[in-house]
Amino acid sequence: MQGYVLAGLVLGSIYAISALGLVLTYSSSRVINFAHGATAYTVAVFFHWLNQVQGWSIPASAAISLLVFSPLLGLALWGILFRHLTHSPPDVRFLATVGLWVALPAGVQLAFPFSQGQILQPQGFATVPVAIYHLSALGVSVNANQVAVLIGGAVVVVGLSALLRATPVGLATRATVDSPRTAAISGINTTMVTAGSWMVGTALAGLAGILLAPILGLSNGEFTLLLVASFAAAVVGRLTSLPLTFLGAMAIGLIQGIAVDFLPSHGVLSTGFRPSVPFIVMLGCLLLYPGLRRERFEVDRRAGARAREVAPPPPLRGWRAAIGPLAVAVALFSVPLWLSTFWVGVVSQGAALAILFLTFTIVTGEGGMLSLCQATLAGIGALTTASLATHSPLFGWLVPNPFSSATGWPIGLAVLAGALVAVPIGLLVASLSLRLGDVYLALATLAFALLIEQLVFARPEFDNFGAGISLGRPIFLGINFNDTSTFFLLLAAIFCVLAVLTVNLRRATTGLVLASMRSSEQAAATIGVRIVRSKLLTFGVSSFIAGLGGALFAITIGRASPDSFEVLIGIVWLAIVASFGTRSVLAALIAGLLFAVVPQLFSEHLPTSWAMVPTLLFGLGAIRLAVNPRGSLFDIQHSVRVLRLRRARRSPTFEGQAPA
Amino acid sequence: MTEPLLDVSDLDVRYGEAQALFNVSLDVAPGAVVAVLGPNGAGKSSLAGAICGRVRPAGGRIRLAGRDVTGWPAHRMSGQGLAYVPEERAIFPHLSVLENLRVRLRYAVARGERTAALERAFETFPILADRRRQQAGTLSGGEQQMLSLARVLAAPPRLLVADEMSLGLAPRLVDLVFDALTRARGEGVAVLLVEQYVERALEFADQAVILRRGRVVWHGAARDAASELVAGYLGESP
Amino acid sequence: MSDPLLHAHEIAVSFGGVGALAGVDLTVPARSIVGLVGPNGAGKTTLFGVLSGLLSPRSGRVELAGADVTRASPQRRARLGLARTFQRLELFDELTVRDHLVVARRIRERRDRSLLRDLVGLGRRPSPGEDEAVDALLDLLDLGKFANQPVPLVPLGTGRIVELARALATEPRVVLLDEPTSGLDVHETERVATALRAARADRGVAFVLVEHDVELVLQLCDDITVLDFGRVIAHGPPDEIRASADVQAAYLGTAPAQKTPR
Repeated sequence: MQGYVLAGLVLGSIYAISALGLVLTYSSSRVINFAHGATAYTVAVFFHWLNQVQGWSIPASAAISLLVFSPLLGLALWGILFRHLTHSPPDVRFLATVGLWVALPAGVQLAFPFSQGQILQPQGFATVPVAIYHLSALGVSVNANQVAVLIGGAVVVVGLSALLRATPVGLATRATVDSPRTAAISGINTTMVTAGSWMVGTALAGLAGILLAPILGLSNGEFTLLLVASFAAAVVGRLTSLPLTFLGAMAIGLIQGIAVDFLPSHGVLSTGFRPSVPFIVMLGCLLLYPGLRRERFEVDRRAGARAREVAPPPPLRGWRAAIGPLAVAVALFSVPLWLSTFWVGVVSQGAALAILFLTFTIVTGEGGMLSLCQATLAGIGALTTASLATHSPLFGWLVPNPFSSATGWPIGLAVLAGALVAVPIGLLVASLSLRLGDVYLALATLAFALLIEQLVFARPEFDNFGAGISLGRPIFLGINFNDTSTFFLLLAAIFCVLAVLTVNLRRATTGLVLASMRSSEQAAATIGVRIVRSKLLTFGVSSFIAGLGGALFAITIGRASPDSFEVLIGIVWLAIVASFGTRSVLAALIAGLLFAVVPQLFSEHLPTSWAMVPTLLFGLGAIRLAVNPRGSLFDIQHSVRVLRLRRARRSPTFEGQAPA
Repeated sequence: MTEPLLDVSDLDVRYGEAQALFNVSLDVAPGAVVAVLGPNGAGKSSLAGAICGRVRPAGGRIRLAGRDVTGWPAHRMSGQGLAYVPEERAIFPHLSVLENLRVRLRYAVARGERTAALERAFETFPILADRRRQQAGTLSGGEQQMLSLARVLAAPPRLLVADEMSLGLAPRLVDLVFDALTRARGEGVAVLLVEQYVERALEFADQAVILRRGRVVWHGAARDAASELVAGYLGESP
Repeated sequence: MSDPLLHAHEIAVSFGGVGALAGVDLTVPARSIVGLVGPNGAGKTTLFGVLSGLLSPRSGRVELAGADVTRASPQRRARLGLARTFQRLELFDELTVRDHLVVARRIRERRDRSLLRDLVGLGRRPSPGEDEAVDALLDLLDLGKFANQPVPLVPLGTGRIVELARALATEPRVVLLDEPTSGLDVHETERVATALRAARADRGVAFVLVEHDVELVLQLCDDITVLDFGRVIAHGPPDEIRASADVQAAYLGTAPAQKTPR
């Protein structure tokens, strides 16, 4: 028992250090840093590099990592990105930090190639071999890394309290957090205070990272778990209260530690309980704190937001409007004519992903909602389809096979069933967190995605030692889709149909209603829009498309494997779609094709150490949204239209654009 | 003739599409009190905000004690001896009363004189002395306004810009506000007073400026302003 | 006499002690323009919030066309015929001026429920009579030349009229106007006033006008309620209000001792 309490205290301390950094940066700049875990990862890798690769001593490495590298990293990220996000709309704030979350680890792995492989024994503050102390009075053993965590946690809590309570800088910080406007007229340079809090916040993330590495391992995936636990703790503190955040973090750590003592040693509960704690805590807080419901992330519309808004030039009308889409469709369907079978296979994966990516077009582009669980819903669709089609058990339950086929359900029906199963699951998450507003929806979907990843995707029947469930291709209407080109054409056709449906929806009443909700929920309500119903409907449709896309992607690569639908892959998907524009079906197509083709091109023509470059680029694309909120495709179309307008303006028939 | 302490000329302020001030000019002599009056929405608060560095002017010039301070951020204006009491209560709701005062004094008063300044503030507003450990957000509306004013007057500025300080206060508290202002004036503080209690404001002020829809429609001696105002608020024929 | 369209009875609101309401009544008969004025902090915005459904009163009742809507959501009030405009423009930045009216009208017709129809591409077609109705409203408010412009490009004054048009497109019984001329110059104010008069003459809709510009209220309204410190201090036709000593006192600030806030 004491051992589990100790383990819980250790976890709780790490969460607390990380969460305090998160709250500090959020409350000074109102930006939730989804890249907080990635920042921790970056500093931990840097520390490991100094110590193991450069051969510096542990104290020197720690001092440089935490007192020089982290603050500079924080300052740089603030100056380049976060500073600009404070007054951005919520979706841009979210997507840009997701972009950083994608780009930062990729950049780190490029800069420090040793981190691309598995790091077997990550360096912590303790020297290896790690000393173990037996405390016979308490009946526990504690190793030096755990001692480091407990000391680190105590130092941070005491130090941060002292800094904030007893120093002039602390007073200025608390004043700025409390009311930036009043702070400014009192003579406080609030910009400096905010920059400082990002430096301290990043150092805290870094410390949590270095402490976590020897305990959980130094990988981007493990750090996502740290991130989610920190988010949950921060939500306990309503994203602003440092003491409550600390308590929340310790509680989550202790529950996770102590529960191990009571849970069965194998089965669903043993693997699923730990990741579910942050999710349950977060949901509990979201439902229990009435104040959170009212919390609005203010955009100062009066000062600048409206002025920055650039109106799109009018779209083409009539037959001209059809030229572009037709050209794209012709190019797409002719792919088998000019590419080798191998590349048609690669492009097929891209087409399947393009279908999947339409889920982002619907949920974020049309619905204006920030979801991080679309990949998970796709995975649910894929695994359900595979289980039905191969007649293998779902959660130990063999779904009856009423069909004559010996292997399982006909694959077409299985795909449809997979897509349908994703819908109620998506609706459940959305209905729990929708009323709470943008950022909390993002947090809850992230926690949910990790929960499913640990609870469902890790199950042996799905994981199958990493191989997943293999899946055949359909034969129907007498057409055998085992042929790569034929199957590609099927995917292209499905994409085109869904794209047309999406565009139909956008241009119809539903599209108008969603557009009005995105601009102003308040005003939409006063003309009678039922906000929650509309959002749920959108989320449901997007879940269906996610499930469908996931199933088709699994068929394309020949197996439904949970690896393909990890949270960290999902955020790369979101980043790449967002960087081209969540409002455009063409962007989904381009994003899908690039996601499949670019890594393949890199692996064929460039050294393997460059493998992270595409991911880095995808992340940077999303970061660019901070400057260019509608995505690069919109930018290009916009420039083309502006050029057209200029040309038209020279011709005498032009009737004039907006009066100046 | 002495140089004005505050000299605003041809000031324009706009928020995106909306223009709040058009070519507004006024000046405040050292130690003088100027009232800015006008119906709501006339641009009074925009004027105060622009002078204090909270709103960046779109055009025009602001000089403080001969120095061009146009477009300076609020914290630098504060360093120039300008104090601002905005329309909403300028306090830190989650800090204690004492901390609220300290934040201000740290930037306005030399280290050695802070304790004295603190004592002064508590002397002027004894109610705050009793509540020095209390969170400012838990004070009543009137007490919050006292604190807002105490923060500023603990270290007398060269120019005080007071925006609608008596808003929502009971008359008894309004008296207290004006008492404090009178004392500050006695110490040589110049005041730019944006006020809706027109009679009180005009009794107190030397000069008055009337704004309407973002333009100065009248300026002159405070005692002549009253008749002008009735027409401005309630239409042409009272 | 028929029942009033909108009736607020004995409304009391309190938060934190400042700017609250105590026992306020407001009656809006059909086809009338009712003005609501008062100094800053008098409680106009609070009363507006209670009428539009953003705030719940501590006590009192709000009735809309005979139905009790005291606790109804803004959506429900909208469907019962209450529309509003916003002081800070709340326009749909991605839509053209015309689409603002189209979407409001279609929600009125419940076309927001036809997902399948929308998916197959039929949702783009206007309903019977829609084009004519929308054009008529655009003409009425003199918005024709802005019809196909995205709203971020229209001037502020026009934006206010677009909000009015959007409200009217829901075919409401009562429209609440929240300071429709704040931030406008004299010329634009005149345009908004003209649009209001045209809307009342043509649509037979009642308006509640919250406004700082007392002169404008005196010109436009049939009936005016003056608030100060959360209470009604005067109520009546424009001439009475203009002459009232209480009103002048409230604006000029000779606050009599009995007017302590609660």
